Amino acid sequence: MTDNQEQLIKEAIEKALQGDMDAVNNIEDRVTRSKAKAGLVKAKREAAKTSAKPSAEEKSEESGSESKPAPQSPNQQFAGIIASQFPKTVDEELSSETHIQLQSEEWLDIAQYLRDDPACLFDSLQCVTGVDLGEDVGLEVRYNLHSMTHRHVIEIRIACGGKNPKIPSVEAVWRIGDWFERETYDMFGIEFQGHRDLRRILLPDDWEGWPLRKDYEVQETYHGIMVPKVKEGWE
Amino acid sequence: MVLNIGPQHPSTHGVLRLKVVTDGEIVSDITPVIGYLHRCFEKHCENSTYEQVIPFTDRCDYIASMNNNFGYVVAMEELMEIKVPERVEYIRVIMAELNRIASHLLALGTYGLDVGAFTPFLYMFRDRERILDIFELTCGARLLYNYMWVGGVSHDLPVGFVETVYNFLDYFEPKVQEYNDILTYNKIFIERTADVGVLLPEVAISFGVSGPNLRGSGVKWDIRKDEPYSIYERFDFDVPVGQGLVGTMGDCWDRFYVRVLEMIESTKVLRQALKDIPTTGDVHQTLPKKIRPPKGSIYRRTESPRGDLGYYIISDGSPQPYRLKMRSPAFTALSVLNEISRGWMLSDVIAVLGSLDIVLGEIDR
Amino acid sequence: MGVFENKFQDNIVVASLDKLLGWARSTSPWFFQFGLACCAIEMMATAASRHDLMRIGMIPRSSPRQADVMIVAGTVTMKMSLRVKKLYEQMANPKYVIAMGSCATSGGPYWQHGYHVLKGVDLVVPVDVYVPGCPPRPEALIEGLLKLQEKIQSERPLTRKTA
Repeated sequence: MTDNQEQLIKEAIEKALQGDMDAVNNIEDRVTRSKAKAGLVKAKREAAKTSAKPSAEEKSEESGSESKPAPQSPNQQFAGIIASQFPKTVDEELSSETHIQLQSEEWLDIAQYLRDDPACLFDSLQCVTGVDLGEDVGLEVRYNLHSMTHRHVIEIRIACGGKNPKIPSVEAVWRIGDWFERETYDMFGIEFQGHRDLRRILLPDDWEGWPLRKDYEVQETYHGIMVPKVKEGWE
Repeated sequence: MVLNIGPQHPSTHGVLRLKVVTDGEIVSDITPVIGYLHRCFEKHCENSTYEQVIPFTDRCDYIASMNNNFGYVVAMEELMEIKVPERVEYIRVIMAELNRIASHLLALGTYGLDVGAFTPFLYMFRDRERILDIFELTCGARLLYNYMWVGGVSHDLPVGFVETVYNFLDYFEPKVQEYNDILTYNKIFIERTADVGVLLPEVAISFGVSGPNLRGSGVKWDIRKDEPYSIYERFDFDVPVGQGLVGTMGDCWDRFYVRVLEMIESTKVLRQALKDIPTTGDVHQTLPKKIRPPKGSIYRRTESPRGDLGYYIISDGSPQPYRLKMRSPAFTALSVLNEISRGWMLSDVIAVLGSLDIVLGEIDR
Repeated sequence: MGVFENKFQDNIVVASLDKLLGWARSTSPWFFQFGLACCAIEMMATAASRHDLMRIGMIPRSSPRQADVMIVAGTVTMKMSLRVKKLYEQMANPKYVIAMGSCATSGGPYWQHGYHVLKGVDLVVPVDVYVPGCPPRPEALIEGLLKLQEKIQSERPLTRKTA
């Protein structure tokens, strides 16, 4: 690599670290451009490592910090609030800056608290996702909550096991929980205790199986009509 | 009496079945039955690569496919930390706003058809065809585009694109006044839609309603302004909310009028974007060779013409998503139908359903 | 018509009458609007002002008893397939079916992992014309309809069908 090229790459990486990607993208020579991109990835990784430790401490000290588009502190902040109100429900090891891991027993009370407490005011349940994490871990339900007044966003994950998965239902707290939970029941077979009317919503009532589980096998026929893709008996 | 509307019915906007319990002509309970268009979108996403998911997202909300694609690529680029060139950002905003206008035109045209007015349907489709011509000029397809890819777009803008869109905007802006004259301030339309199906803000938020349905009830919430993505912060546009001009705030007329005003705001954004779009730049520059996002998950919302479109993507480091869930705004909008149409007559139920602007492809996925 | 069907032997009078009947029956088929998914939007666009379906004699009817042609536009799912069959049986003879789009033809893009998708509407109803595309352009749908008109014209309802 010549000195000129090295100099060019260094300048481009510096500009890119400040946010201007065009300097890297506009390099004519393909080889030099790819070297610049590789150098940029390395520089970003190192910057993240050095700033991770002190900034994590800073963030955990500031409570009620300004809202950011990628919420790191809200999840940790609310994990602390929930743990103080409902001890032994927050799983400290598995919670992180991206989500809060909870036990399922007191979920309805926690949900009520999150909606009504003036510091939380999570009045909007955005998304309920069921996940099949494999045979060993089992099924999990993830809730994305949002507050219209305070504008913060958190994610709560609750594990419910593999055989006979059960979770308390929150449809009394957020009205949309009704349909979201029916959909998760339809796709995964997770039973939501306390739901008024838990039945299938997307598939027909006489469908067999829970489709989005990883071990799902399609049934052969439905009311006499062939289900899988292989067509036999073409006329 | 229990009455069954649908699944095959001219005004259910797709295959929706409504079990209506009536007391004479007044409705006392409605149960929507969905699932007649459940096409296993999420199962397909788990078995396709990240690039192959994009045509499937097109087909969910088939009226606003650019916005569906947009939501997906914004979520993926945040997960993979890719920054696309400026030209790509402008192209994406232009396509998304054009598709927003096309989607609202279809929604308003079919709403007029539901309520009984046939002419606005033809007028709005005529103008929608001009937008579809612009899309066909760019990427070859009229309805389902597969246009926005992770890290770029599929085709660059053709020669003469900017003039074509300027011509369209000059043609279209006076037409909105025409629609107002035919439909919005039409006495019969106002009688049928004002004060009907009032949606209170607290009920709307608890049911997760978003987009024009929520704004019609007076809540100023627009993801483009409140959780901005792409380059929407650079544009100067207003967020119209319902004010109850000819009835109660939150009625069907308000939801209709918010959509009409949003079309005008989209034209403002388009004009600003066309003025500032950079003229050079390769749209395929930052396309990753292989999409293998790092392990993790992300939930990102964007503003589709129907509301908050959210994608929850879980990646396990392989080229196929481990789990992809699409949170559709029409799903939440339909769940509120029972609340707001109890106590009204049967034909008012059709008016309320039309004002919610649902697309069954998105609800059933 | 039912009294005279298949009663006559092939001769010049019957052949011309057949042609007249074929022309009369084919040039105004009223279609049963069965829009299910994305193809329904293209069907609506075909019926709208630019590509006008009324100029070839087709108007949308919502009731199966009033329709001649059923255009199955969009993906048919297992839940919906029972209703498609029921509605087809409720239509009055003579009736025809057009499968519009690749989902109605063979399952479309959902053929591989679609557990709830019917792999082609011809598994439940007999189809006369298949219009491929995803979604087919309005011009393609109009071509499909014209092909259906040709098919109707080539039927010889009065002639006795010999084995």
